[in-house]
Amino acid sequence: MSNLKDYFATDFQAMTTNDWVGTILTVVIFLLMLGLYVYVLRPKKRDHFEKQKHIPLDDEQTNSGDKNGG
Amino acid sequence: MDAVAEQKYDLGVVRWFTVMAAVYLLVGALVGVYIASELAWPVLNFDLPYITFGRLRPLHTNAVIFAFGGCILMATAFYSVQRTCGVRLWSNKLAWFTFIGWNLIIVAAVITLPLGITQSKEYAELEWPIDIAIAVVWLSYTINFIMTIANRKSSHIYVSNWFFLGMMVMITYLHVVNSLAIPVGMFKSYSIFSGVQDAMIQWWWGHNAVGFYLTAGFLGIMYYFIPKQAGRPIYSYRLSVIHFWALMFGYVWLGAHHLQYTALPDWTGSLGAAISLAMIIPSWGGAVNGMMTLSGAWDKLRTDYVLRFLIMSLAFYAMSTFEGPVMSIKTVNALSHYTDWTVGHVHSGALGWVAMIGIGAIYHLMTRVFHVEMWSTKLINAHFWTATIGTVIYIVAMWVSGIMQGLMWRAYDEYGTLAYTFAESVEAMHPYYAMRAIGGMVFLAGAALMVVNVIMTVLQSNAQGRVQQARTATASA
Repeated sequence: MSNLKDYFATDFQAMTTNDWVGTILTVVIFLLMLGLYVYVLRPKKRDHFEKQKHIPLDDEQTNSGDKNGG
Repeated sequence: MDAVAEQKYDLGVVRWFTVMAAVYLLVGALVGVYIASELAWPVLNFDLPYITFGRLRPLHTNAVIFAFGGCILMATAFYSVQRTCGVRLWSNKLAWFTFIGWNLIIVAAVITLPLGITQSKEYAELEWPIDIAIAVVWLSYTINFIMTIANRKSSHIYVSNWFFLGMMVMITYLHVVNSLAIPVGMFKSYSIFSGVQDAMIQWWWGHNAVGFYLTAGFLGIMYYFIPKQAGRPIYSYRLSVIHFWALMFGYVWLGAHHLQYTALPDWTGSLGAAISLAMIIPSWGGAVNGMMTLSGAWDKLRTDYVLRFLIMSLAFYAMSTFEGPVMSIKTVNALSHYTDWTVGHVHSGALGWVAMIGIGAIYHLMTRVFHVEMWSTKLINAHFWTATIGTVIYIVAMWVSGIMQGLMWRAYDEYGTLAYTFAESVEAMHPYYAMRAIGGMVFLAGAALMVVNVIMTVLQSNAQGRVQQARTATASA
């Protein structure tokens, strides 16, 4: 365990303003990303998102077999 | 014939980008096969500096990444943004500026790189005047795309457009920062970064060129063209949203894994490796999402050769996005780095993922924008098998060669002396270099078949006046 403590040891006194700004921004963006996952995966949002998947197919009648592959 | 699409959208520039993408894949692969052959049979240098490996290698990478990759990304983005937003391009003239500008940049690369005019930054070799031109043309592409989305008729922005947009925003940022340099003449400049900072910026760019240009951009192609070709919606839209945001957040951290065991602080390489491993999850989620789009309709693969390209590309995407993170782990990296294993990994992504999804998109677009069937379906099938077999031969050769190289370089005897000289390791590579050249030739043959098929399809469309008919037909045709 002491090795693990050493591994994660940080000299907070030595951190510059840039270090703090970068660290805080990174953590905030990471948390926003996690929040977004929760938002997207909520069961009640399922229909809201899944209905968008038809957008590429709505603009024409596709018939892929005849178009290319034979 | 889709007269509605021809009259409703700007397809002229898409036609040109599509045809040029096919031509540039052939040219880029040809240069690649030549330099692979030079490594196997050095006599092919002919003692001419202009065609040595060092000068032609950047020409090969620029041709396949920026000429082929750029043209197919521009063709697909301009096509799919119009179709998913239900509007014309914001500016057709600006799109033509992008086409002409991008092709002039490619011509400039073809002239300067064999002459040895280079910044020596990998995947960013072109000198400063060309770098400025790239920024201007890229911005014209980006602005046109953004403004077309702004003019859209639908309320939602389809996920393929998010991927294209993510690529455009990040590549602008990456290209400008990585290319910051002080010119000392028209054809010479020095990076404003130095030492380990220069290396870090270089690989921040280098890996993100892979992450945002060759992955996010081509995923934009995947999310539009697989559903269109299969005639089925993407398996899970929610998964595609998660895929997008995880990629945008994760990829920017990975560059440091290219610099393990260097002067870069140790923790940055560890961080790069850790996030690389985490990226397997969204990458595989995206690959499964694309493949499962065929759920319940796998029989389409039996008859639709274009769909085969698109689905096979996802298999290589899944394989590459597993192999890359494994290679970034320090223990594996100690063996793999600086060896041909890296070259094999890059080509499983480049030939297997990028080229195959791009080829699938080219065949799909050809029929939609020239309003005619492909000249030969048999040639598409032959192309599929040559591309697949050529890629497999190439990457297997490099895997064997790379692992053997790594083992030979670090083998030592009981006195602590290296067991092999460097020259001995080069000699041991020879059969695999020949095998790699053969794999490349097989892939190149497929690219040649595609160009023949594309040219004949264009000629057939012109002879039948299909584009003109689509322009003048009543909208219900």
